[in-house]
Amino acid sequence: MSSDLVSGDGRMHVKSGLMRESLVSKSLNEATEGGPIRRMVPDVSFIAVGGQSIMDRGAEAVLPLVKTIVALRSRHKLVIGVGGGARVRHTYAIGMDLGLPIGGLARVMGAIEEQNRDVLVFLLGPHGGITFIKDHLQDLPMWLDGGMIPVCIGQPPYHFWEPPPMNGRLPENGTDVGLFLMAELIGAERIVYVKDVDGLYTADPAVDPHARLIADITAKELMEKNLPDLPFDRELLRCVERSRLLGGFHLVNGLNPESLQQVFEGTKTGSVIRAGAERIAV
Amino acid sequence: MSEKRDGRIWIAGMDNVFSGQTIANLDMYDTLPQSRPIRVLPDVWVAKIGGQSIMDRGRAAVFPIIEELVAAKDAGIQFVLCVGGGTRARHSYALGLDLGMPTGALAKIGASIPVQNARMLQMLTAKHGGIMVYHDDLEKLPLYLATRCLPIMSGMPPFEFWEKSPAVGRLPSHRTDAGTYLLAEFLGAKGVIYIKDEDGLFTADPKKDAKARLVFHADAGELLRNGPDDLIVERVVLDYMQRAKHVREVRILNGLKKGQVLAALRGQAVGSVIAAGGAR
Repeated sequence: MSSDLVSGDGRMHVKSGLMRESLVSKSLNEATEGGPIRRMVPDVSFIAVGGQSIMDRGAEAVLPLVKTIVALRSRHKLVIGVGGGARVRHTYAIGMDLGLPIGGLARVMGAIEEQNRDVLVFLLGPHGGITFIKDHLQDLPMWLDGGMIPVCIGQPPYHFWEPPPMNGRLPENGTDVGLFLMAELIGAERIVYVKDVDGLYTADPAVDPHARLIADITAKELMEKNLPDLPFDRELLRCVERSRLLGGFHLVNGLNPESLQQVFEGTKTGSVIRAGAERIAV
Repeated sequence: MSEKRDGRIWIAGMDNVFSGQTIANLDMYDTLPQSRPIRVLPDVWVAKIGGQSIMDRGRAAVFPIIEELVAAKDAGIQFVLCVGGGTRARHSYALGLDLGMPTGALAKIGASIPVQNARMLQMLTAKHGGIMVYHDDLEKLPLYLATRCLPIMSGMPPFEFWEKSPAVGRLPSHRTDAGTYLLAEFLGAKGVIYIKDEDGLFTADPKKDAKARLVFHADAGELLRNGPDDLIVERVVLDYMQRAKHVREVRILNGLKKGQVLAALRGQAVGSVIAAGGAR
């Protein structure tokens, strides 16, 4: 690609395929589709640890999971992400009562996830647990090659710039979304969400005896079902639908850590939510 | 020994409307009291100088606009100045696309260019109080405004590596129009002004189509549904406006025409307005 300078319309352009374009044109954007997308850190797996579902349960749930993570690390490169839980909900409740705008709620929420990250770094410390913050994303290969277990928060750094939500009144770009975006960006091998349910159900199995496990479904099909509640961020489905590399996610029960192990062994467990096949870049 | 409820660590006082709920529970939101969020800085405008449209024209376009901005500030009008990337950002995207980089990586490299432009504007306005504001310094805005500074920011939102893949194509859909708009909505700002090199919104790109007509007032939803293939403002802005609590219109004006910037900051109707119908 040449880097000739072009002028003549009062502006100085660097010659490129996008020269003089607004970048808003639909047809121009369509033209940028296709072709291979390279993977930055392909051989890594993300494990997303639930806040309310796992961390808030304390030692009983967290310690066996930590043990499983350490065992997995001997054979797999891992990045651990974590959510907030009960204290995030309290933050949102107080923040909303005070009239904080959506970007304000997003900005104050992250502190809780940082606490849970620090808790996991503490517990994983003897096994190579290390704090992984956004500014060090490009250092990831170094830590993984050094055998470390990087632990990060989930929330993406949208902060005050959090867009107004499509549904509801809370930031839609939460833990689940942020971790998926990170795994998608680096072209990770897989992402596993570890919560306190055996998978995705047609209804809440604790309430409805007819609730059935959905073992495998595309994000699009799931969005069309428009279930009133989901065990993960609704926005996550839109991200999966637009995924080019990762192709979906696993959801397993962290209260039964064997199930996490099974995902890595390729045994069917929990639920898989996939992107439509046509989205995936070859 | 820690107290638990439903298997989770619990202390008195933690109970709240979201306790035990998933954020994805749509029914829950209907039970919440309706209230409008506060406006963080209601007297402040957010203006954006276009990258390709203004900065890339150099001195001839930039200096007269700075004069008007300084005059507005000296007249006591408060604003944050954002800036776009322009042709070097487009070159970065072209390079990144050619090399197979994903959207988040394109957003990361694209973000560097508006920072260059913001620094250029800061140098040019330093003698008038121009001060560079990074994303993490946003909470210092009240100080900068109270001391009659001229705060300058990159228009890009801080999404960078976390920019989502768009529905179509690979270019980041949140660029400097989006970042400028989202900042204004967070601040509950007085309004958003996009300073470009066209008189406003046209029925087609006036640089490519001689028959393009100027539109003084347009509906955001209608533009998204039935608008032209190309638009003067990023599409996500039109989408977000319709869900926004505070900033439900944006103004687009021609910074190459003398007096337009100052007039807009005085609240006068110049250029085009894109608005979202109905209050939320």
